[in-house]
Amino acid sequence: MKETLYSKAIPIAGSVLSIFSAFAAGGVILLFLGKDPLLLYGQLFIQGMGSTFGIVETLIKMAPLLIVSAGLLIAFSGGLWNLGVEGQFLMGAMLAGWLAPLLAPLLPLPVYFLALGLLGFAGGGVWALLPAILKARYDLNEIIMTLMMNYVALNLVSWLVKGPINDKTVVPAQTVLISMTHRMPMIPFTRIHMGLVIGLIVIIGVHWIIRRTTMGYQLRVLFANKRAAVHTGIRVKNITILSLIVSGGFAGIAGAGDVLAVKGLFQSGWNPMYGMTCIPLVFLARLNGYAVIFLAYFFSFLAVGGEFVARDQGIPIYFVHVIEGLMLLFFAGTAYLEDRRKG
Amino acid sequence: MPDSIFQEALIITVLASTLRGSIPMLLAALGESYSESSGILNLGIEGMMVAGAFSSFLVGLQTDIVPLGIFAAALIGAVMGAFTGLLVINLRLNQIVVGLGITISATAFCNLLHRVIFGNQFRILWGAGLTVEIPVLSKIPIIGQALFNQHWLVYVSIGLVPALYFILYKTRLGLRIRAVGQKPWAADASGVDVSRIRYFSLILAGALAGTGGAFLAVGDLAFFVPGMVQGRGYIAIVIVMLGQWNPIKVFLGSLLFGFALSLTSALQVLGVKVSPDFILAMPYLVVIVALILIAKSTSLPEAFCTPYKRGETL
Repeated sequence: MKETLYSKAIPIAGSVLSIFSAFAAGGVILLFLGKDPLLLYGQLFIQGMGSTFGIVETLIKMAPLLIVSAGLLIAFSGGLWNLGVEGQFLMGAMLAGWLAPLLAPLLPLPVYFLALGLLGFAGGGVWALLPAILKARYDLNEIIMTLMMNYVALNLVSWLVKGPINDKTVVPAQTVLISMTHRMPMIPFTRIHMGLVIGLIVIIGVHWIIRRTTMGYQLRVLFANKRAAVHTGIRVKNITILSLIVSGGFAGIAGAGDVLAVKGLFQSGWNPMYGMTCIPLVFLARLNGYAVIFLAYFFSFLAVGGEFVARDQGIPIYFVHVIEGLMLLFFAGTAYLEDRRKG
Repeated sequence: MPDSIFQEALIITVLASTLRGSIPMLLAALGESYSESSGILNLGIEGMMVAGAFSSFLVGLQTDIVPLGIFAAALIGAVMGAFTGLLVINLRLNQIVVGLGITISATAFCNLLHRVIFGNQFRILWGAGLTVEIPVLSKIPIIGQALFNQHWLVYVSIGLVPALYFILYKTRLGLRIRAVGQKPWAADASGVDVSRIRYFSLILAGALAGTGGAFLAVGDLAFFVPGMVQGRGYIAIVIVMLGQWNPIKVFLGSLLFGFALSLTSALQVLGVKVSPDFILAMPYLVVIVALILIAKSTSLPEAFCTPYKRGETL
């Protein structure tokens, strides 16, 4: 019992240490920029965690982080580097923004939401398909392929929204605005949309699949030792393709969710770059779905608090991304400490 | 004969912009071919290019001496390479995680600094991007103006191609670099300092990636905007895969992607009505097609992406 408690505490300590170290390093950067780090971090926490407005905003912005992270969790659990979530997100968002106004008058509301969820999934999934097939068939590096697909998606959606799927009645390059009756409903008595609930269900479901089902087990074997996976009769190719598609599909659902709940349309130049946030997040969570929930709250708080601070203290929002990148570096560093502990 | 003058202008534009557009990726890819040969995947290359682009612009603007900016970019890149070395060689951390961390932090940090220093203004660095006309050669019809009236860094970069080829394949140092990538324990046993060779390759890779970013900002253009590197570092990694670490093949690969980039200006000159978004996607589509074509024939150094610890074999 003591042993398991201890072995659970170490990885948590490592992640917490990475977060603190990143904040400390960020503080040094702030000093260089002539800002008072204590004042700034104080404001960040007070406004982001100490106010109702901050907490509600944080909960609202958690939804896409949870869903994108759930997708990454699947891929990373199998040792597959899906670095293309940005493109997959945009494809899902684009499909939802384009088709929601067309489907709205045709379908009853529940079917409409289901259809858009599936469209989002399809958009993201299709965008992961080519890297998945090439990885499975030719063992072609998926890191590069998924990254390249990001840039293709970026330009493709930009072209589509300026031309074929453009709302011709307005000047900006965007799709037709979705009417308020066909937006994502709110959680009763709040102004937090259902995305949060969907996100929580998705991440807990994914965690369960990875830890408790045969498929999840096979995925973890694939991560630990690919050769062993082949020899034990796991269909490595199928599982590679499936997990990458599902991984991309979730990023697409997150895109559809943001369009339906937050934006109300798809716009040229819009790219929230959740990959930059969710990749460090999933690593810090050490591929544990429950830890993802905590960290999604924390990273969402960082984004919300960061916006307050950007406005009040004149520190651009990019600072939050610096902190996230540093967390990833420090997280990599904790592996060294663990290595040494084991001897 | 207005038609032939027009065609001539088009050919010059395409040739010149192919060459110019390929240089940032060429420099980064030359460095990457060294680090990959020594067994290290430098995924931080994208961040190093961003840092190079920003630092060259900043230093160039502050000192009004553009070459100093380029030198600063190389220096920053080298420091980032050394830092990567500390993490992946000494601490033996995961090269992919470290590379992503470096790229995310460096990109965000440069964007942050740009916003803090310049606000929402995008200043232009006057005097950047000046070309040097080579006497006699630049007088050759058509190709003269396209190839021999370029920025000095273009000539230096192309000069580096045979030099780096020679070092990697014809000298003892090059042999050691490749040995360290294939069989680090064997190299170690024969008295080669594995860490030192890998540090050397990574620092060179960083310096060249930084210079590549600098060429983008103050050689080809004359300004810095967040997001300007646009995955060129990752494309450089693909070029190295295509060229199998051979600097000469890497040069040819860079030209291919430079050509894909130059289509933008060529089609503008031609007045073809194609959406710029479509053309901008071109280099990435070329990368994807190229990857599919070579899919079956990629091979990596045996010790690729594996840290070396004395007494451990693969």
